[in-house]
Amino acid sequence: MSQLLTLTFVAETIRLSIPFACAALAGVWSERSGVVHIALEGVLLSSAFGAVVATLASGSPAVGVLGGVLVGTLLSLLHGLLSARFRVDAIVSGIALNLLAASGTRFLLRAWFDSASNSPPIAGFHWGPTGSSGAAMLARTLLDPVTLLAVLAVAVTPWVLFRTRFGLRVRAAGENPVAAASVGIPVVRVRLIALCVSGAVGALGGIHLAFDQHRFESGMSGGRGFIALAAVILAGWRPVRAALACLVFAALEATQILLQGQRKLPPEILQMLPYLATLVVLALAAGKARAPAGLGQHATEER
Amino acid sequence: MSRFRSFWLELRTPLAAMAAAVLVLNLLSFGLGQVPLSTVLTALAGSWGTTYGIGQVLFKATPLLLAGIAVDLALRAGLFNIGVEGQIAVGSLAGTIVAVVLPASLPGIVALPLTLLAAASTGAAWAAFAAWMRTRFGAHEVITTIVLNRIADALVAMLMTAWLALPGTVRTKDIAPGASLARLESLSPFFSGSAVSWAFPMSLLVLLGVTVWLRRSRAGREVVWVGHNERACEAEGIAVSRRKILAMGLSGAIASLAMAGTVLGYKGYYEIGLGAGVGFGGIAVAFLGRGHPVGLLLAALLFGTLAQAGLVINAQVPKEATGILEAVVIIAVALASRAGRLDASARAAKGES
Amino acid sequence: MPEPALQLEHLSRRFGAVLAVSDASATFHYGKMHALVGENGAGKSTLLKLAGGAEKADQGRVLIEGVPLAPPTPAEAIRRGVGFVYQHFMLVDAFSTLENLCLGHEPVGRFGALDENQARRQAQAVMSKLDLDLDLEARVAELGVGQRQHIEIIRILIRGAKVILLDEPTAVLTPGQATHLYATLRRMADAGSCIVVVTHRLQEVRAHCDHVTVLRRGKVVLDTATSASTVADWTRAIMGQEPPPPVQRPARPEPVQGGLQLKSLRVESTDKGHLAVQDVSFTVPRGTIVGIAGVEGNGQRELVRAIAGLQPCNEGSVWLDGADISKMSVAARRAAGLAVVHDDRHREGLMLDVSVSDNLVLGDLGTGSDEVKTVARRLGAYGIVPADPSIRARNLSGGNQQKVVMARALDRSVAVAVLAQPTRGVDLGAARGIHEAIFQTARQGAAVLVISADLAELRAICHEIIVIARGKVVTTLPPDTAEEVFGQAMLGEAAP
Repeated sequence: MSQLLTLTFVAETIRLSIPFACAALAGVWSERSGVVHIALEGVLLSSAFGAVVATLASGSPAVGVLGGVLVGTLLSLLHGLLSARFRVDAIVSGIALNLLAASGTRFLLRAWFDSASNSPPIAGFHWGPTGSSGAAMLARTLLDPVTLLAVLAVAVTPWVLFRTRFGLRVRAAGENPVAAASVGIPVVRVRLIALCVSGAVGALGGIHLAFDQHRFESGMSGGRGFIALAAVILAGWRPVRAALACLVFAALEATQILLQGQRKLPPEILQMLPYLATLVVLALAAGKARAPAGLGQHATEER
Repeated sequence: MSRFRSFWLELRTPLAAMAAAVLVLNLLSFGLGQVPLSTVLTALAGSWGTTYGIGQVLFKATPLLLAGIAVDLALRAGLFNIGVEGQIAVGSLAGTIVAVVLPASLPGIVALPLTLLAAASTGAAWAAFAAWMRTRFGAHEVITTIVLNRIADALVAMLMTAWLALPGTVRTKDIAPGASLARLESLSPFFSGSAVSWAFPMSLLVLLGVTVWLRRSRAGREVVWVGHNERACEAEGIAVSRRKILAMGLSGAIASLAMAGTVLGYKGYYEIGLGAGVGFGGIAVAFLGRGHPVGLLLAALLFGTLAQAGLVINAQVPKEATGILEAVVIIAVALASRAGRLDASARAAKGES
Repeated sequence: MPEPALQLEHLSRRFGAVLAVSDASATFHYGKMHALVGENGAGKSTLLKLAGGAEKADQGRVLIEGVPLAPPTPAEAIRRGVGFVYQHFMLVDAFSTLENLCLGHEPVGRFGALDENQARRQAQAVMSKLDLDLDLEARVAELGVGQRQHIEIIRILIRGAKVILLDEPTAVLTPGQATHLYATLRRMADAGSCIVVVTHRLQEVRAHCDHVTVLRRGKVVLDTATSASTVADWTRAIMGQEPPPPVQRPARPEPVQGGLQLKSLRVESTDKGHLAVQDVSFTVPRGTIVGIAGVEGNGQRELVRAIAGLQPCNEGSVWLDGADISKMSVAARRAAGLAVVHDDRHREGLMLDVSVSDNLVLGDLGTGSDEVKTVARRLGAYGIVPADPSIRARNLSGGNQQKVVMARALDRSVAVAVLAQPTRGVDLGAARGIHEAIFQTARQGAAVLVISADLAELRAICHEIIVIARGKVVTTLPPDTAEEVFGQAMLGEAAP
């Protein structure tokens, strides 16, 4: 078990936490504005695909990041339009968009790359020292531009959400959309902008997945969007706590990877760990956490 | 409101969804350099154009219908069962284990019910757990059922590799002959060559049974009421949690029978990955046919047609397009039924109601 | 005559099949206190919302200082100096007072950051002018209704409102708080504001307002200075006929055994984790109608839920005919003869998209009675219109919806009936029918507990009235006690 306390383990945990943390932050942005966002899984998946395609087309990972952010933002915006503007049940919209992302990326893999499972490889970023020591891995992990962007997002979100006018309006839309509308706040527009922010932040997670694997794989988001939602609930919809909660899930995944070589347990049991942890977290936290009071409500009554 | 108009209102949503599906299919094929409509025509010819094609459509519609009934039943109680995928996996495996270990001499009248019971009870327990998590802890079933899908996948993979799969494969041994479902071709030459089995009429019976149960029995009616207004039901002393767990358990039981036609009536064994995607097809079926048995049947036939047609046109449009069509249908139905409601209230506002 | 502050010209607004406001015109002036009165459903709230841009008119227009309100949105109305105080406060519970005060017109500094100091200065300026004091850092969820209303008023004044529209502002206040509110409003009117109040309490109009406009079925039927008319004139205009004689409550029976008994009941609140009901004990003997008066949110909801079995008692017990039912399920209490009507019929009473017949037997399946006969009997006995069991509950009027809920609760063998807000939002005709049903229930020997925000209703139908404040019983008063004494008690101060 001594490997668990090495720099390698720390580096692995941080690396693996980025997709979770980005998705969780995206969930905070969306749900704080009052829109339930179970399409996070689709955001991760589609932005990973977008990043790979943009990288392959341009040869530049920076363009890849832009491509991924664009796709993730658009999918999230579509979810916002359907649920906030056209008032489709947000769960239904989320299910449909997850399905669209999963089958759409498979379809395009087949159409563009003639493969059922994965894209051609991409290079991604290569910053930081080479070498396989724990310290080198940690340095590489921390210097990764996508990781840095994600950390920046985690750092800035609390300030924007709790100290600015925009943040106040987002939270008002999420806590009481009827009251927000009554003082002249354009609730639907505020929610759409929040969903765009959510999509862009969540896309960083998908981009990280793709760059980390150096290619796109069908279904590579692996339920992380849903686990992230559990982290959001556990954190009581607070951004920094949500990101920190994701470190726990990432540590479980890192444990799984490190222990897999030892063959003491069937690998499938280890694979289940993050999901079992999610069930435990939900059982412990779901009933107690205080969700935004206006989650799923609209500013005006239906007539 | 006239009878004709209300019929038209009922019909408009599925029509909008089908139009959207056809449009998207054309767009996809056009994007891949095909002549518009040609894909649709080829798809139609390959599904409803021959008796073999019709049999195959029914074969493909069977799991979709059962999955659709399962999703619909949970929806009636106000629960989203996104876990049909996982319920299919654990239920099918449990059923297959029983079917494999049963003595070959056991007659069908005993073997088949035992097999189906094993599958249904496993799926029921798997699904009811999610409902229990909801009623006991407030954990939303959308997240728990998705997570349970992942756990089911890992669990099935573990059991298969550890001791169920034939060496070097991902499939089980063959099932006992008594547990198999006969093909319909033994009934009529019309179905000759196609894979449709007694599982299809069986799924129709399930549809009928669930419909009657929801409309006539105390438990079924209370399930529907709980779905409409949980708090009012609680205030009048209805056991809300028990009704929800019951509905979800039944949903899981029906879901886990979805692949019976494939395992017991076609392949004769279970393999890893069997039934993947059927759960999400079931969601689309449930949304398209929501609340109405005929609607569910027609929706299942539509998606069965798409699945069969998808194979026929695979050369022109990859069969992965099916999932996109399902997503489009769910969104189109949701949008159209909302538009329908707004429309109805606007008409009421003009005093025509 | 100076230019009017606000003119409503030939306004009409339809909701579904209902013409809520029909060709209504009215004029409101600066420096005056105007009242809009009428029955439930007469269209007074809708007319007010049209004036404040919260609803769009189908026909007609709204003029502010002679200029049309366009577009008719709340934001534009606020910009033009028209502020709205809603009946259900438009506050974000999770926010602080300050955040609520500045929401929608937040002063910002660099990078879009909130300028809290500026917001605080604005709030202080208005508060000192009105002689009000609020804790700007307190979370609104923890404030009482009076303070919440002050936030609403200060908020629209910060935004420069000179026309102030208030929808049923005294519905949730004690008589004393209401007087204080009208004093504040009078100060604002004297300073040049135009005040328009929607209310159904005619005595308040008599005491505080300069001008009254009466609506009936969406039409303006009387528009006059309060000094030039009498309360009786207004009542006739509201009803369109002479008011019916007051209802006759059944005589109070001789003391009997049985009924409802609460012993030192303590119940936790539904949301905030404190004790909402504290050490409440009282008895309702069979055949007696007992009222619970108090400002809403003082534990009534939790009290009803605890008696019904929807919420556990933290301490103490609930007894029915001498048997402790505290540990029983909702269904078991129902079977023992407890009938409960909750205060929100849409959330806890009806399944709006289910047929009336199913709504009438909700919870009664499996009791062995003939369902078709039960539905027909309940439809008939309570005069539910239309008497078509197959239509959806959503398509019934508020009064008929309430009759469905009452019929389901009371049309069986009832030992104890607990009725929360039995006539809220229903018209006078339906309210009379519901009162008759309550009397009938008492005559048949049931103990009846009525919880109502309408003190006048309680005084008309109850044998005695328990006043509660902050979850505690303050006192028990006979129904003919003076209103001021009730008002004092509702603030938690028992008369000596």
